[in-house]
Amino acid sequence: MTKIAVQIDDLTVAYNYKPVLWDIDLEIPEGVLMAIVGPNGAGKSTLIKAILGILKPIAGSVSIYGKSYKKQRSLVAYVPQKGSVDWDFPTTALDVVLMGTYGSLGWIKRPTQKEKKAALEALEKVGMLPFKNRQISQLSGGQQQRIFLARALVQDASIYFMDEPFQGVDATTEIAIINILKELRKAGKTVIVVHHDLQTVPEYFDWVTFLNVKKIATGPVKDIFNDDNLTKTYGINYKVSIQE
Amino acid sequence: MSSAQLEIQIIASLVAIACAIPGTFLVLRKMAMISDAISHSILPGIVIGFFITQDLNSPLLILLAAITGVITVVLVEYIQKTGLVKEDTAIGLVFPVLFSIGVIMIAKNANDVHLDIDAVLLGELAFAPFDRLLISGVDVGPKSLWIIGSILFITIVLLVAFFKELKLSTFDKGLAASLGFSPVIIHYGLMSVSSITTVGAFDAVGAILVVALMIAPAAAAYLLTTDLKKMLILSVVFGVFSAISGYWFAHWLDASIAGSITTMLGVLFLAVYLFAPSKGIIAVMYREKQQRTEVSLLTFLLHLKNHDDERERHVNHLNEHINWQKVRSKTVLDLALKNNMIRIDNKIVSLTTKGDEFTTQAIDYIMTNEDSQIEDMKEDFFLFRG
Repeated sequence: MTKIAVQIDDLTVAYNYKPVLWDIDLEIPEGVLMAIVGPNGAGKSTLIKAILGILKPIAGSVSIYGKSYKKQRSLVAYVPQKGSVDWDFPTTALDVVLMGTYGSLGWIKRPTQKEKKAALEALEKVGMLPFKNRQISQLSGGQQQRIFLARALVQDASIYFMDEPFQGVDATTEIAIINILKELRKAGKTVIVVHHDLQTVPEYFDWVTFLNVKKIATGPVKDIFNDDNLTKTYGINYKVSIQE
Repeated sequence: MSSAQLEIQIIASLVAIACAIPGTFLVLRKMAMISDAISHSILPGIVIGFFITQDLNSPLLILLAAITGVITVVLVEYIQKTGLVKEDTAIGLVFPVLFSIGVIMIAKNANDVHLDIDAVLLGELAFAPFDRLLISGVDVGPKSLWIIGSILFITIVLLVAFFKELKLSTFDKGLAASLGFSPVIIHYGLMSVSSITTVGAFDAVGAILVVALMIAPAAAAYLLTTDLKKMLILSVVFGVFSAISGYWFAHWLDASIAGSITTMLGVLFLAVYLFAPSKGIIAVMYREKQQRTEVSLLTFLLHLKNHDDERERHVNHLNEHINWQKVRSKTVLDLALKNNMIRIDNKIVSLTTKGDEFTTQAIDYIMTNEDSQIEDMKEDFFLFRG
């Protein structure tokens, strides 16, 4: 039996007493490349933030390989939505990637040559090495997303959470990113992606979770990515042609 | 220059540095108005502290006032969190209330308290050298020098120790939280430092002008650099420059030192705002003009590429056809010639090989919006620098 990477029990999250996630039970097996899909306001980002302790749930629990997130921080990397930060911030691409090493450094300690080397390697992997000294506002949307991905890679985690990594990126970047994610899966990592484009789900992912405040379904794409679940999630008659 | 003059300039410079450091982070966190709120709402803290200690330079007073500053932030955030009003409204609601409590307290006890509103609002830098710190009877310098010096020392120690954490939580709160660097702790740490600095500085420049020292140097530095460390250093340099030049400006005018320092800050920011090499108003206007010309150039090259007919490519015909004024046409023609994009034989314009390649590449870029092939073109043309 495969190990469970992330286990979520009875998770409920509310903003101002209005539940945005209701009684979620979810098991994410190790080594899957999973999409979380659902309409706007379904609580997809909220789910990730609650798993990572950025939001405090009003009920329920989350465990990463059987222990609380706080104890397993080093196993987890997080790529927030690109729009969640100010890209005019005075810093360079390399420096943003270096931020990925801060977690393993802990308080006060500064990055050394070792961290810098790891950051440069991560930049190389996403094809952004030539841009390492560029100010981040001078990068295109796709390049910014690659920098964020490099920042997660440098953490060398076991589980990767990504919030809409394909939002506002060009086609080349999208392919580059998905190839890296597939490599991560090949290396035995678990990758969880908030995803918008339903058309690409069967092509990109092997596991999927349908979410709309409640969990609708979760499982292998080939078994559960069907019109029935899509209709339940999006509330309208949904027809997508799925490649077998 | 007398020793009192020198002391005043040193105090003013230390105040400027102590303000510039938290100010830089406030500007980057888009929290400039919070410093305004803190600087006003510490007044009741100062008055209560003064009732207890009878000494404006007492550490207890500074602590009490700083707590009022942090309470302001808590109140603002609490009101904002209810979702009934926006942040700027919450700020506008909280600090006038606290400030006016301070004003009433001063007015009611005017007979017993040697604390006047002018001094609170505008500072008394000129008198700072008169209040000496005596250690076992030995004069070691003005009290306010020691106070702001201590605050600055603590600020620098905290900055050096937590620079990485401050940078991370300012840039990406979500990542900071997920990596275990509590953004809440860092936020309140910064708020506490800002409050303590404000109290320490208020004696020198007054509650209102502290805001200028926190925000103006950082805002000017922001326009000049894309590196956080350089931004901090520039803020500090700008602050010290304004403090010293402001002092001599006041000396020359025989006017308020605090007012003159702030005036210098305003002048400095204006100069940077106008003349900053890439983000300044003049540079931006110049760049926009260049971009307009380059769009015209591209339009012109595309026209040439699309038409083989000699009539369409005649110099005079272009004037009428593309519908530009003579000056514009000449600028564009000159630019194209200078870059070896076109050749003119007998008033017939045609694309060179280079011009042809450039046009294809540029069109391709605009259509596909891909970045890789455009890197070399970016060097020559503003248009593609985004």
